[in-house]
Amino acid sequence: MKISFTINGQDQTVEVADPYTPLLWVVRDILDLKGTKFGCGKAACGACTLHVNGEAVRSCSYAVKFAEGAQVTTIEGLGTKENPHPVQQAWKDQVVPQCGYCQPGFMMATAALLEKIPNPTDEDIDQNIINVCRCGTYYRMRKAIHQAAELANNSTKE
Amino acid sequence: MKARLFTLFLFCAGVLFAMHWNRPKSTMEVVEEPPVVERENFDKMMSVLTHRRCVNCHPNDGVPKQGEDSHPHNFGINGKQDSHGFAATNCASCHQAENNTYSGVPGAPEWSLAPSSMKWEGLSPIEIAESMMDPKRNGGRTPDEVMHHLTEHELVLWAWEPGVDAQGNPRETPPLSKEEYIRVVKAWFEQGAVIPAAE
Amino acid sequence: MAGKKKISRRKFLVRGGLGTVGVMAVGTVLFRNPLRRTIMDFAETAPPMYSGSGTEPQLWFELTKDNKVLFHSPKVEMGQGSFTSFAQMIADEMHLRMDQVEVIAAETATGVVDGLSTGGSLSVAGLWQPLRELAATMRMMLIKEAASQSGQEVSSLTAEEGYVTAGNQSWSYAEIASKVEKWEVPHTPELKELKSYKHIGKPVPRVDLDAKVFGDPIFGLDAQKEGMVHAAVIRPSVVGAKYKSYTSTGVESMPGFVQVVEGENWVAVLADSYPEALMAETKLEVEWDIPKKWSEEDLQDMLQVGKGKRMITQKEGSALDDDEEGVVSLSFSSPMGAHAQIEPNGALAYFDDKGLTVVLSTQVPGITRTQLSDAMDMKEEQINVVPTFLGGGFGRRLDTSHAIIAAQLAKAAGKPVKYQFSRKEEFQHDTFRPPTYHTVKGKLNAEGYLDSLEHHYASGDVSANSAIALANTATKILGTDIGAMRGGNVMYNGIPNHRAVQWHTTLPFATSWWRSLGLLANTFAIESFVDEMALKAKKNPVEFRTQVLGDEGMHGRLKKVIERAAEVGAYSDTFTNGRAMGFAASTDTNVPSAHVVEVSIEEGQIVVHKVTCVLDCGVAVNPDQVRAQCEGSIIMGMSASLFERMTLRDGELFPTIYGPYRMALMKHAPKEIVVDLVQGADIPLPVGEPPLGPIAAAIGNAIRRLTGERLTDIPLQENLDQLLA
Repeated sequence: MKISFTINGQDQTVEVADPYTPLLWVVRDILDLKGTKFGCGKAACGACTLHVNGEAVRSCSYAVKFAEGAQVTTIEGLGTKENPHPVQQAWKDQVVPQCGYCQPGFMMATAALLEKIPNPTDEDIDQNIINVCRCGTYYRMRKAIHQAAELANNSTKE
Repeated sequence: MKARLFTLFLFCAGVLFAMHWNRPKSTMEVVEEPPVVERENFDKMMSVLTHRRCVNCHPNDGVPKQGEDSHPHNFGINGKQDSHGFAATNCASCHQAENNTYSGVPGAPEWSLAPSSMKWEGLSPIEIAESMMDPKRNGGRTPDEVMHHLTEHELVLWAWEPGVDAQGNPRETPPLSKEEYIRVVKAWFEQGAVIPAAE
Repeated sequence: MAGKKKISRRKFLVRGGLGTVGVMAVGTVLFRNPLRRTIMDFAETAPPMYSGSGTEPQLWFELTKDNKVLFHSPKVEMGQGSFTSFAQMIADEMHLRMDQVEVIAAETATGVVDGLSTGGSLSVAGLWQPLRELAATMRMMLIKEAASQSGQEVSSLTAEEGYVTAGNQSWSYAEIASKVEKWEVPHTPELKELKSYKHIGKPVPRVDLDAKVFGDPIFGLDAQKEGMVHAAVIRPSVVGAKYKSYTSTGVESMPGFVQVVEGENWVAVLADSYPEALMAETKLEVEWDIPKKWSEEDLQDMLQVGKGKRMITQKEGSALDDDEEGVVSLSFSSPMGAHAQIEPNGALAYFDDKGLTVVLSTQVPGITRTQLSDAMDMKEEQINVVPTFLGGGFGRRLDTSHAIIAAQLAKAAGKPVKYQFSRKEEFQHDTFRPPTYHTVKGKLNAEGYLDSLEHHYASGDVSANSAIALANTATKILGTDIGAMRGGNVMYNGIPNHRAVQWHTTLPFATSWWRSLGLLANTFAIESFVDEMALKAKKNPVEFRTQVLGDEGMHGRLKKVIERAAEVGAYSDTFTNGRAMGFAASTDTNVPSAHVVEVSIEEGQIVVHKVTCVLDCGVAVNPDQVRAQCEGSIIMGMSASLFERMTLRDGELFPTIYGPYRMALMKHAPKEIVVDLVQGADIPLPVGEPPLGPIAAAIGNAIRRLTGERLTDIPLQENLDQLLA
């Protein structure tokens, strides 16, 4: 089965035998975008979070057929080293990552949160950011989320 | 869950017992059939609507339940403010329009928690039926609309195709087959949607 | 010890011709330390060190064409930030900017392989001396070469930011190196004074920050190879089950199916893609031989104080007589814990004309290679283990037996094979933190201070049966599980009578190293008990501790840390706004730490609002990353202390997924963490684990003040739920 969608601004058509193949594996192994991580395969840890039409989804539990015609964004398309997304800039400024494995999922979840709630309260963060980080970087993440909100709001004002 | 089933059992046993003792001996043959049939449709329908495949998403505390043990949804998910979850992390972050065999995450169209007016968890079958038929609590539906919802809505009928859990084990389906459930629901409505009197 | 000696001139070896023109490789072999010394090291009595395994000179540095230094690190980066600290040391002693240093994990075929492991929080501490010496020597070599190439006096040359300069002439390091045919190796120059470093001691950003923020493919599971197939491996779910056979229910006709391979205690399906392997796997019915279904009760029967192998790990003064008046005794426990690192284990394995290559997240590249060599009947030289960045280590990557499965699969398939664990496999085949049981006893003297304190503790394997032969050997030689012992001894030397007794039992499944090893549970038991005795004596818990600590050495440093924590955290026995404070301290690998926590209970849930952590880690090479390790230790420690528990259910280890395996999330992390660093030594000391020690006890001590109840069992939230029920 052929499925076409836009990923990080580029049109792609992939061919899979099983239309229920999780989008995660299409992104990682067919499109070779390794920034989206496999953590549990059960939509529990959030390491595979990416955006489909601007909404955060856990791609290990997202059949690729649902992506037909959709706009998909992964961490590679969120921002670049030269032009980072406010979330990435804040993540750098706060030196958030330790092992780094869960971080793309957290950054994607955060970017989606800021789209919905530009100035999230601590409660908003607690409710929406429920990925799992084993190194325990939550403390810095919270600071980074607040900073990212500021950066994003400032850039909108300009 | 067991306690709830046991309560249901006691309730049914009590009803049957009362009927047995109250029936006039002289007219026994004449009056036996109709009320028992009506009651049977109701009870059969309710054996489904009180099943965890239904009640898990009709909670009384805004917290969806999961699994055969109806534990609170992991990771603090709740539908207290919005039955679709939180602003950025919501039902659709994990649940799609179909079950996912790879992850064991269930899915169906319009996957969401029942609105808070439709809380069924902890209610008796009669209370559930009352709630279900009350336009103030059922989203303003007419009895006919309720019937269609119960027998046609994909999210409701998902209960018979609940897929596998995270370990790949099939989820339990309600005690009736889908066909029989649809038949008894329709029969109950056709017979006037009579809710048995509370004890 | 390593720190005092200079690198021997004779043992320097310079090689050319590696890779592109202008690449310079310098290798050295550090002298090996006597086994016993290293054991002592493990047993936390001596400063840590690096223990290189190589008998052949190996690649340490490469100078690349674009005038950067590429450091092949014998230690891996698993989040602890050591690559950044290495870059700081190299930049300072080689006179480079931070952006001129790159760090990668050394491959076993070309690099220096650490004989121990990356673990024990020893990376930065262990390489502190040798790495700076190497870097300084490299700088001298470059200056000397520049001198001979330009015909100038060495004394007239200076090196800065990758250039050697003489007056208005200057040459890049790469330029100099490209003209060298034979290097002359000088004596190691004097290292700089601490205060004159530009990078060391500064909170420079992590060198891997960009890679980790922009999603670069740097982890084990990101590895790939042309033509590779994917493996899903079925291993027993029931503890102790043995593989018998499989029946196909149509696996052959599944999309992408390649082949079924049977192994010693597993059966694998190979397919063109990983999801195809997962689906094909469901078409195998596997039969297992199940000799016994182990239960929680079985474990509790085996593992308790008074059962298993007894060893006194500390003895001072006389033993307590239980019947004596005034003796207080309390029992504590901690459950089995999973590593639950987010990157599942796995490996990419392939054969080519050079032999076998295995790419994976490992804390023990050298041991991985040795095990592959034994299992595959190949010489170590034919095997290259390529360690990547680790998506979490925490001790889980000390066991890399899956590398063998990957290699066997690659051999059977005749193709490169990538094997990734499912999450269930990860949870059921973890090398768990063992459950522990503790009895702590004590007695006050007439002044109300501790006169006696005894810690009797039972634990499953930590270092015993470890893949790390040295740890295993040490356990045998010392008769003690030195991992389970971490934090188990009484650190208050002013208590006239104190002792610690270990009861060690090997469980029917693997238990092993989990960040900080025995420290968390042992500290929980001892420090909860000490707190209870302070309450009994009606004394301030801070003063109750410092009163029984000497002023010298380790004890003096601990005393300072305790006093400092009480001051910075403004510890008070009284509480306001429904919040109480808890105090606890620990000592691990020569590093004292103390926490003050502020806790409340909201709707039955333990909420930790603020943690103040004081740590004496000696020289903080990167203070920001030391802080990050403290924050991480606190949050990971909270997760284990409050929520986590593995159990046996119908013979299987359970749970097998996040969620049911309850862990700390964003909402549980303290809103405020204050880290205060004390420099009580002139070398860097371990930081990745010591600050995890006090957290469980500190929280329990706060709960005691809030509720009057003493929590004695980890996970504390479960313990509180039971008390409130």
